[in-house]
Formats: sequence, structure tokens, C-alpha cells
Amino acid sequence: MLARVANNLFWMGRYIERSEHVARYLCVNYFSSLDAPNELSQSRQFVLKSMLFMVGDPHNDESDLKESDVLFNIGLNADKPYSIINCVKLARENANSARDLISTELYEAINKFYHYVLNYSADFFVAKGLYEFTTHVMEFTAVLKAKITSTLLYDDAYSIIRLGISMDRATQVIRIINSKYNDIQLIEAKKEKSTLPSSSLEWCTLLRCIESYDMMKRYDKDAPKSINTLDFLILNPKCPKSVINSLAKIVDHIQVLSNDRKPAKDSTIFLVNKIYNDYKYKYIEEIEIDFKIFIEKILTDLVTISKKMEKEFFYI
Amino acid sequence: MEKNLPIFSSYTFDDKLLDEVFDKNKNVKEIYQTLFDIYNKHSISDFEALNEYAKTSFFNQGITFQVYGNNETKEKIFPFDLFPRIIDKKEWDHIESGVLQRSKALNLFLRDLYHDQNIIKDGIIPKELIESSENYLKQMKGFDPPGGVYNHISGTDLIKHSDGKYYVLEDNIRTPSGVSYVICNRTALKRALFGVFDKYKIHTVTDYSQNLLEIMETVKPNGVDKPTCVVLTPGIFNSAYYEHSYLAKGMGVELVEGRDLFVKNSFVYMKTINGPKKVDVIYKRIDDAFIDPETFNPESVLGVPGLFSAYKEGNVCLVNAPGTGVADDKAIYAYMPKIIKYYLDEKPILNNVHTYHCSIPEDLKYVLKNIPKLVVKPVDEAGGYGISIGSKLSKKEIEEVKETIRKSPRKYIAQPIMSLSVHSTYIEDKKSFEPRHVDLRTFTLLGKDKNYVLKSGLTRVALKKGNLIVNSSQGGGSKDTWVLKN
Repeated sequence: MLARVANNLFWMGRYIERSEHVARYLCVNYFSSLDAPNELSQSRQFVLKSMLFMVGDPHNDESDLKESDVLFNIGLNADKPYSIINCVKLARENANSARDLISTELYEAINKFYHYVLNYSADFFVAKGLYEFTTHVMEFTAVLKAKITSTLLYDDAYSIIRLGISMDRATQVIRIINSKYNDIQLIEAKKEKSTLPSSSLEWCTLLRCIESYDMMKRYDKDAPKSINTLDFLILNPKCPKSVINSLAKIVDHIQVLSNDRKPAKDSTIFLVNKIYNDYKYKYIEEIEIDFKIFIEKILTDLVTISKKMEKEFFYI
Repeated sequence: MEKNLPIFSSYTFDDKLLDEVFDKNKNVKEIYQTLFDIYNKHSISDFEALNEYAKTSFFNQGITFQVYGNNETKEKIFPFDLFPRIIDKKEWDHIESGVLQRSKALNLFLRDLYHDQNIIKDGIIPKELIESSENYLKQMKGFDPPGGVYNHISGTDLIKHSDGKYYVLEDNIRTPSGVSYVICNRTALKRALFGVFDKYKIHTVTDYSQNLLEIMETVKPNGVDKPTCVVLTPGIFNSAYYEHSYLAKGMGVELVEGRDLFVKNSFVYMKTINGPKKVDVIYKRIDDAFIDPETFNPESVLGVPGLFSAYKEGNVCLVNAPGTGVADDKAIYAYMPKIIKYYLDEKPILNNVHTYHCSIPEDLKYVLKNIPKLVVKPVDEAGGYGISIGSKLSKKEIEEVKETIRKSPRKYIAQPIMSLSVHSTYIEDKKSFEPRHVDLRTFTLLGKDKNYVLKSGLTRVALKKGNLIVNSSQGGGSKDTWVLKN
């Protein structure tokens, strides 16, 4: 497979995955805040700030945010690199460059997704369409991932797309955890001064943002709190969206691209295995000691893998 | 207009034009009767819905081209008409043998032009005509392309005149495009109106990519057992990118850009995730001037440095060969009957339109006097650009055309205004069928000891009333084209 096209497929996978997580974060946060038990998590400003923090455009001053602007920017403003519309456009642009390699069924599904997002009325979205739009985005991405699994040859191209999906899933899950962790820290800080109810709701919201609430309930009957939620979402191999699971998938798929039985020390596969094994044997208590540092470290590790892949496989 | 009226209820007739669907007495021609009966059962609103469905199908399949505006780039579908054109077996056999004859003659002509130039020495073609052609590549002189083939892919544009005969308007042997639309039109029609296919026995169009790959494999360089073939595209922003990706996918080969290839020791390689892989045959969809900045346009970023040297070393085959443009120059077109006779000793099967060459003093004189009766065309433009139809020009415009011709007569030819046949076409604005002018582009493949003609073609239709220019860049659409088996 051409190195350039491999890069396109990798990013197609990343942008498909990213659009799903951004859409879900918007939807879950907005709607769970409507009847939240405390004033802060019910505050619209608090929710909007959380959304901007998650997409990497934090609002740091005290000025009020305008709800329609924030929703538009994250949903349908093509000029914002983090917007859903931009993710979908880039997913399709990358698919275009690899169109001869992917199935007609997958391409058509991407194209339908693109036209849906492109033609969605921005006015309707910010006024009434938030649930409908974000739900459809999540459904479209589910269809795309089904088409990837069921219509592509399980070869290099498939593994590259899966690598993109897994890399972005790990990254987005960490970003979402970081964002909600940040929200919880703010709530906890306020709590000391007043009698706010527990932040358990925010841990539930975090689980819902990663589509893992129901399974967490099955796995652990205790109310979600810091330690069990983070353990489930980061280190538990039974949780399909956990970071460790994404890293395990990265290991599997990078193996397909490598012919070496004994990989060189400077190869991507060596690096990926090293990082995976490091996290595989971590335990949540050691992570919780300094969670901020852990977040920074894991994001840096993911970027290092991505850069290594670019150099080894994509000639960038 | 009543939305429940049959779809053909407001069809108009013009006695001066050859209507392919209706005869002079306004009766449906026999070959179309079954099809007409099926279509005419649809009410206007039914048909509108079908038309919308077909359009959405094109959009979702991403069969679009880019239109570049001042501020934004728009994605458009190539308008598709749901009423197919039918060509019977006898008529098709005539067309097929005619286009194949032309392709073979053009190949021999190109070989001669780049070797001994006997056709010039024998006084058939004027030397100046070749020497003055911008598309004659001196770099190709004395070179034998793998398999001895120059024009592996030819697109021949034909029209059906009011006398009922087919005439060739142009031979396109540089990078003829449009074949993917032939196949997609068939797919779209099947999706929208599958029932009509039960009523006619027609040839398939899905075997084109396989035949193209086989043709490419016949012209592999010496010493190569199983050649690696690729399609070379300028990239996703090219208006024909869909076609490039379609053909690569259809053949199961890589779609490469210039930046994916490099030349080392006169061999061409592509950069893959497993390291360099040698490439043997390249179907190039980039103009000659841009294929290699070391030999041609030094500014080109689309091409591959050293590609032409690798080609001349015989280590890679380029499809079509560089320098074929000299033979599809519209000035050469006028000599096609003589070229066919000279190389094949045969009478041309298809008619040529009489052509006045403005570099010949007598022809120039006639052209300048008779512009309103003529179509004036630049010799080296494609896409319908630069064409002036005399009968549509104002006095001022006629004078401007004359002045342009006088300045560079070698650059222009003129032909009598041909009456392109018309075909029943759904006009969205009017919500009814109306007659519109059509042409036909056929696709012929030549390989070493193998050839193939796609049993269909791209029927292009001028959607504006009275318009004779059918090119998509000029607002044209297309139809599915059925060639009957018997």
C-alpha cells in the first residue's frame, strides 16, 4: 500500500472516531445538566466551558459564553478545526484520497454522512437540533465502523484504519476523562464552601460520555466515584472503550504492518509494545496520586507513537 | 402544468432535426416503442421523484466534479438523464469497426511521425503541419514504446447528422475521459428503473476496467513477467479524480500521485508502507507537459523527475505514450481519410466532417467569407472551449472571430455546422421531456496483439435548448447508452 494513502486511511479512521466522541460529549453533557442536582453542574456556563475544554479551546476568562456560538463552533463551524463538521469533512477528504482502496459501501456511507452534516441547518442545530444532530452523527459513525469491519479486506489497509480509530479513541477518552475530571475538581472545590451534593453525578456523566455507564453498572454495583470509574475507563480490559483496550488494539494492528519477528529498538512496534506493557501493569492508586501528570504523560505517549508511525510508514 | 399528466404530454417536434426517438410523423420509432410505453406510464410527479432519486444516488456515490468559483469550490453532479439512448446491432457494428479502424491508423501514423515520416515524404501530410504542432515531442523521435503502441486508449466523438449517418467530430488520444460515467450511468439507471432492463437485451459495460488492465499488461516492459500497473492522477482536486479512482479500483491497482513515485537507476518505484516497489506500466492522467519536470515543464509538481528517461530506457511503459497529441490535433483530423488509406489501404468506415484548414490560403479565404455557416474550432483545445458557432454570433463577434483567425491561422479549423441529432431528454425546469442535441464518445483500447471497444459510449446531451455544445464544462449532461445484442 502507498505510504501516502496509508496516512490518509489512518486519518480517516481518526476523524471518524473523533466526530463520534465530540458529538457524544456535547449531547450527554448538555442533556444531563438540565436536571443536574447542584447549581454548578446545572449552570449552562459551566457546561459550555466544559465542552470547550474538551475540544481543546478552553474559555479561561470570566466573560459569559453565548450558548448558540459555542454549539455552532463545536458542531457546524467549518472554520474551527475541532468542529464535528470539520472532522467529517476531513474524514471524507482522506477517504477520497484512498477511494480506490476502500469498498464502495464504505465510501458511500462516508459520503452520505458528509452530505448529512454539510446540509444540516446551523440555525436549527443551535435552537432545536442538538439531540437529533449529535445522535445522527453517532449513528453514522457506528454504520461506518460496521462497514469497515464487514466490507474491507483484513489486510494492511484495514489495520491502518483500525490503528487510526484506536489511537483517536484512546486520545479522546483521555481528553474526556480529563475534561470531566476538571469539572469535578471545580465542583469539589465549591463543595468545601457550601453543601453541594456529591459529585457522583459527574462520574456518571463521564461514563455516559464514553458510552460505558451501563456496563460499569454491571461490572461494579457501587456508585461511580473517582477510583472505580477511572480504573474502569483506563485500566480495565473488559471495558471496550478503556484506554488499555485501545492500546492493546494498537499493538495488534501494528503487528500486521511489521514483518520483523524481532523488531528493532527504534521501530514503532517496539515502542508501542513498550508503552502498552507499561500501562498494562499500572494500578489505579498509583495513577490517582497525580492524575494531571498521568494525563499529560499518556497524551505525550500517544503523540510519540503517532509521530513514530508517520516516520516509519507514511514517510512524513 | 398538471402533475398527473403523462411525462411526454408536452413533447415538441422540430422537422428540421433528426429525432432519434420519434419519426417524421411524430410516431415513436420501433426500437424505442417498449421503452417509451414504460416511461410514458409515469406521471410528471412520479418522474420528478425518480429523477431526484437518481441525483441523490450520484451524490451519495460521490460521482461529482468540482466547480471552482471565486470564493468557494462547489461539488456538482454531472447531470444524468434517465431516458437511455439505444443503438441497434447493425449500427453499432458499423461504429465499432469504424472507431477501431481509426485507432489503428492513428497508431501507425504516430509511429511513422516519430520515425521515418514516410507520410510526409510521400506528400500526403504537409511537413509544416507537423513541425508547427506544439504537441509534436521531439524527445519521442526514434523511440519505440513497449509493444509498439502509442494510443492505447482512444475516445472518438461522433454525431448522427440529419442524413442519418454517423460522422466523427474528433479523435481524442491524449487522455480521453468520461468512461466512468458510462458505467455509473448504467448503475444509476438500474437503481432507478430496473424494470426496463427486462425488455431489452443489451451489452454490459462492466468489463471495461478488466480489459484496460489486460491491455496495460500487454505493453509491459521487456523482461517483466507480471507487471505492476498503476494509475497516475494529478490528485483529488482534479475534476476527473472520480474517474481516476474508479479505474484504479476497477483494475485493483494503486492510484498514485507524482509524489508517490521516484526514479532510481532509471527504474520507477512507488513509496509503499513496506518500502519501494517497482512500477512497470503507468496509465497517466496527467498532461505530457507535466509528467517529468526534468524533461518537460520544469515547474511541474505533479510529475516525477526522471520518469521520461526511465521510459526511454524501456523500463516503464506510459499509457498513452507522450506525444500522441500531435495526431489528435484538429488540423490533422482533416487528413484522417488519407491517413487511413495510406496505412491500412482501406476506405474510411466512418465519415469525416469536411474541414477547412485556416493555414491553407484558399480555405482561409472561404472561412473568412462564410463564418455564419461554419463552426470555428481551435486545433488544440478540449472540453468545448474556444469554439465559435457562426450562426449564433453577432456581427461584432464575427469580426472578432475573423481577427483572431487572421492572427494565427494555424491554430484554427472550420467545419460546416452539423445538425446533431436530438434525443428525448427530461428537462427539470420544464418538468417535461424535450428534444435535445446529443453526441457519442466511444472508447477503444489498443494493446500488443489485443484490442477492445466498449460496447456502449458516453452519450452527452446539451441541456440548453438549441445548444450544440455537449461538453460537461459547458452545461452538458449524459445518458446511459444501450447497445443491443441482436
